[in-house]
This record gives sequence, C-alpha cells and structure tokens, in this order.
Amino acid sequence: MKQETNALALARQWLVDNSSLIGVLVLIAAVCLVGALTTDRFFGCNNFLNVYEQSTDLALVSIGQTLTILTGGIDLSVGSLISLTSCLASGLINGDPDRVLPVAALVLALGTCVGLLNAALVIGLRVHPLIVTLGMGAVLQGVTLLYAMGPVGKVPPNFNFLAYGRIADLPLGATIAAMLCILVALLLRYLPLGRQIYAVGDDDNAARLTGLPRTRVLMFVYGCSGFGCAATGLYLVARFGVGQPYTGVNYTLASITPVILGGTALSGGKGGVIGTLLGVYLISLVSNLLNFMDVSKHYQLVAQALIIILAVSVYVNRRRAV
Amino acid sequence: MTEVTAPPAQGNPDRGLIAALRGLLARFGIFLLPPALLLLGGAISPAFLGASNVSNLLLQIAPLGIVAIGQCFVMIVRGLDLSVASMMATAAVIATGFSGSNGDVASIVAAVLAMAVGVGLINGLLVTKRDVSPFLATLATMILLQGFRFAYTQGAPSGNVPPLFRTLGSGKFDGIPFNFAILLVLATLFWIVLHRSAFGRRVFIVGGNPVTGRLLGIRSDLVTIVCYVLSSCLAGIAGLILSGYVGLVDNWVGQGYELDSIVACVIGGVSLKGGRGAILGALAGAAIIMVIANEVLLFGLPIQIQIIIKGAVIVIAAALYARRT
Repeated sequence: MKQETNALALARQWLVDNSSLIGVLVLIAAVCLVGALTTDRFFGCNNFLNVYEQSTDLALVSIGQTLTILTGGIDLSVGSLISLTSCLASGLINGDPDRVLPVAALVLALGTCVGLLNAALVIGLRVHPLIVTLGMGAVLQGVTLLYAMGPVGKVPPNFNFLAYGRIADLPLGATIAAMLCILVALLLRYLPLGRQIYAVGDDDNAARLTGLPRTRVLMFVYGCSGFGCAATGLYLVARFGVGQPYTGVNYTLASITPVILGGTALSGGKGGVIGTLLGVYLISLVSNLLNFMDVSKHYQLVAQALIIILAVSVYVNRRRAV
Repeated sequence: MTEVTAPPAQGNPDRGLIAALRGLLARFGIFLLPPALLLLGGAISPAFLGASNVSNLLLQIAPLGIVAIGQCFVMIVRGLDLSVASMMATAAVIATGFSGSNGDVASIVAAVLAMAVGVGLINGLLVTKRDVSPFLATLATMILLQGFRFAYTQGAPSGNVPPLFRTLGSGKFDGIPFNFAILLVLATLFWIVLHRSAFGRRVFIVGGNPVTGRLLGIRSDLVTIVCYVLSSCLAGIAGLILSGYVGLVDNWVGQGYELDSIVACVIGGVSLKGGRGAILGALAGAAIIMVIANEVLLFGLPIQIQIIIKGAVIVIAAALYARRT
C-alpha cells in the first residue's frame, strides 16, 4: 500500500519535473497531427528529415544560449557574432580548398574568444550580461561592417557538404548539432561543472559565498555560446555559399525562443538543453507546416508570436518566488 | 559600499568635502556628459556648435526621448519593453492609412492610441497575470505587430502622412523644433507623474520591492499594467512624430529604438533590476546617444564606427553605475 503511494508520488514528481519537456512533445505531436490531416506531403520520413536539416542553425546557437540563460545571464551578441564569423570564414577562405580547415579552426577559436571576452567583461565590470552582450553585439556588428559592407568571399563548392551533406541518410550538420546537444546535456547532469552552472543560475550570491568557481562557470557558458555562434556562421556560409554582414541579425532573439519553449527559466537555474532542442524542432516543424499550408510569410510571423505567447503563458503559470 | 555612501572621515573637512563633491558628481555627472560631448565636438569642428546643428540635434533627440520616458516607467517596475520600435512603425503605417489630409489627424491619433493601449494591455496582462517574463511578452507583441503590419501593407507601405505631422516632426519655430517642444511637455507631465504623484511612488515601491507593495495594499498588477500601457502610448506618439520627420513611411520606422531606449535609460541610471530611475536621467541618456551619433556623422567617420562607439558607450556607462551600487 505504502509502496504504491510512493510509486504514485514518484510518478507525479517525475511528471512535474519534466512538465515542460512533455509540453513541447505534446505540441510537436499536435503539430504533426494537424499536418497529417491537412497535407499529405507533411507526414513522411523525407519531410521530417528536411525539417531536421533546416533546424541546424537554430540548434547550434540555442544550445549555447541555453547555457548562458541557465546561469541567469543572456547572450545578445549572438546575431552579430554569427554575421562576423560567416563573413570572416567566406572572406578568408575565398574559394581556396586548402584554407578551409585552418580558417574553420580560426573562426571557431575567434568565436570562443569573443564569448570568453563577454564573460570577462561580465565578471570584471560587474555589469549585467544583457548590457555587456548588447554592447558587444553593437561593436561586433560595426567590426563586421568595417570588414564587409555586402556579401563577401566565396567557398569551394564541396563546402556545402556541411549544410546539405548526408551520412547514412542523416543530414550531417543537424546530426552534429544534436550530438553536441546530447554531450552538453550529459555534462550538465553528470559533471561538477554542469551542476555548478545550475547553482550559479539559481542563486549567484550563494554560489559566490560557497566558493563555487563562478569565473570558470561563466567563462565556460559564454565560451560555449561563442563557439556555437561560430559554428552557426560556418554552417550559414556552407548553406548560402557566401558570408553576409547581416546574416545573423535575426538569431539574437530567435535563439531565445526555443530555450524558453523548452522550459528553461529566463531567471536561471532551471531547465536544460534537451528541452531547447525539442523547442528548435517544434519551431522548425511549425514553419514547415505553415509553408505547406501556403500561409504568407507575414502571417507566419503572427503565428510565431502566438506560439510564444501560448507556450510561455501555459508553462509559466507557477508563480515565481518574488 | 563605495565612497558615495561612506561617512565623511573624521577630523578632516577636506575629505568630507571631496566625498560630497564625489556624491554630487555621481548623482549629477550624467547631466554634465551631453554638454561635455557638445564642447568636445565644438573643439574639433566649430560647425558642431552652430545654431543650426544644435537645433537639428534637438530635432533628432525628441522621438528617442519620448520613447525613453515610457521605457523608464517599465524598467522601474522591473520590466523591459521590446515592442516600442514595432509600435512606432505600426503608428507610422496607421498614419498613412488615411487620406493624408489634416482632417484625419484626430482619427489617426485616436486609432494609434487605441492600438497602443491594446498592445500595452497585452504586454502588461501577460507579465502580471500569466507571469511571463517581460522580455518574452514584449518580444512576442513586437513580432505580432510586425506580422500584422506586413500583412496589412503587403510589404510595401504607401500613402502620405498628413502635413500637420510633417510640421510637428520636422518643423521649427525660431530654431526650436516643434517635436522638441512636445518632448518638453511630455517630459514635464511624466516627471510630475513619476516623481511628484502618489502613482509615481507606487511605481517605485512595486519596482523596488513587490512584497512591500503587496503588504501596503498596492495593486501592483494594475500599476505594472499602467506602466506598459504608458510605454506603448508614448511609443505610438513617437512613431507619429518620427514618421513626420522621416517624411516617408516604411515598415521599419523606429527600428533600433527598442534597444536605444533601453540603453538611454541604463546610461541615465535607471536600474535594470527595477526600483530606481528618473525621467531626467533617461532623457540625458537619450541626448548622449544622439549627440554621439551626430558627432560621428559630423566628423565624417564611417557609420560602422558609430555602431562600435555606441556599443562601447553602453558597456562603459553600465560599468560606471555598477561600481556605485
């Protein structure tokens, strides 16, 4: 009898703990159902692989963004950093196949360094990350425009393998993003650093007072975010074949939506990357479905906004402790 | 604690005086910055301090100043309003939706304000009743407005702004731009509301400590909602004025004002954590942003440098404030 109630309590606890994940899954199922009922081309392996492929860029940025939000921060420099890295990548490669690997490494290192610089400013100046990264975003956008006012450089034709390549029928880029996400999820759950990320996000002051390596935690999350942006920049170059100085603009805010959809609290300390990944797939699915339904681009924006409002106002009903 | 709050050292009047001066500088230093920047500009290029440039400067400050007033209210109640720029563009599109004659001004203003109240209500209700983070709630309304605007204009807005708006947006009387006069009126009005009225005190209490507010019997949800509605309405007015200044309407009138207005507030000492801020500070912040933008253009520096400087100024200003709190 007692065991039964225990099991029931455990099950209920599990449901409560994972309510946001379940919420996204339910929404995904609902979208699939609507899709299957309205168009016959929607529900099929091919289309789902396309959706998966198209989610690569958003997944790459959002994983890093999740980490910064988990620490109670935010990274608003992602858009500009994506633009900068994509311009630099295609400008420096400039069609030479021999330069692809060194430039890719350089760009990834640069992205990480920008992230580390963000963290250093947050720690050193004691300024809210919102402001630091907003300022950094403006500076990076300026630097990008100094480097290129329009589309710049080119990449060897086979570089688009990163965006369109498939290994055993699975899209390469999207699979890399998903693997990264699982890696980060394991890190968050099982490594001390992962637990410390939650601790810093839950109560920064308490974390500081108990002597947690706050500096290392922040360096890590912003570094990851920068790395993710550089990866997205490379992916976009692979997809479009050229770097553009405004290519990343929309990602700043877009990268935050899946994080919230996936149940990560903007106040920090609660959530995880798997939810974010599901959030990315949900967004990708919805825009795919809206395309099938011939909804104009303008109303797609309206739909996107309504989904945000719906999702957040359903989840966030638990009153935040004030 | 920093030197500002430290008691004056005993037996040394000079130290006390210096501390007092520092305190004054910390409180009012922000108001020295725009004139200092102006003088710097004048030192490098005399044309900068010429009557016509200063008058143009005032003309450019007005729309941002009006938005910053609303943003200031929202930030004091622990919020952010990212939908202001979208609201501005929507107001501009509404302004061209009529026949373009002066007879429509009243109906345009009424339509814009009705729209703004609606948007402010959505923001405020989501934030208070559904406990959505202000960032997301206003982000959602920003995208929502953008979608409706694009659907309405089919991507290419047409039509004319009534001549009256053009006069208000870009006309001058003895070198004083009309829009700056509007800013002064609104600033005075909302200075009284925020700093001299019972409602203003409630705004600070709700932002400073919601629990205290609740215990005092303040209807904090209502106060918060009113702040969001104010912000949207002021953004709508700023959008009408800016459309008159620009002279033509596109879907992006006011683009960038959401971040600029937040930055203006932060530079002006409005706390991102809520509970602290002042109308005059927000206006000084708006002035600083516009003076910097104007100087960069006047010195013939490329527009990219302007963006870089703006970014650096944001971080530096915030860092200066962080040291003091």
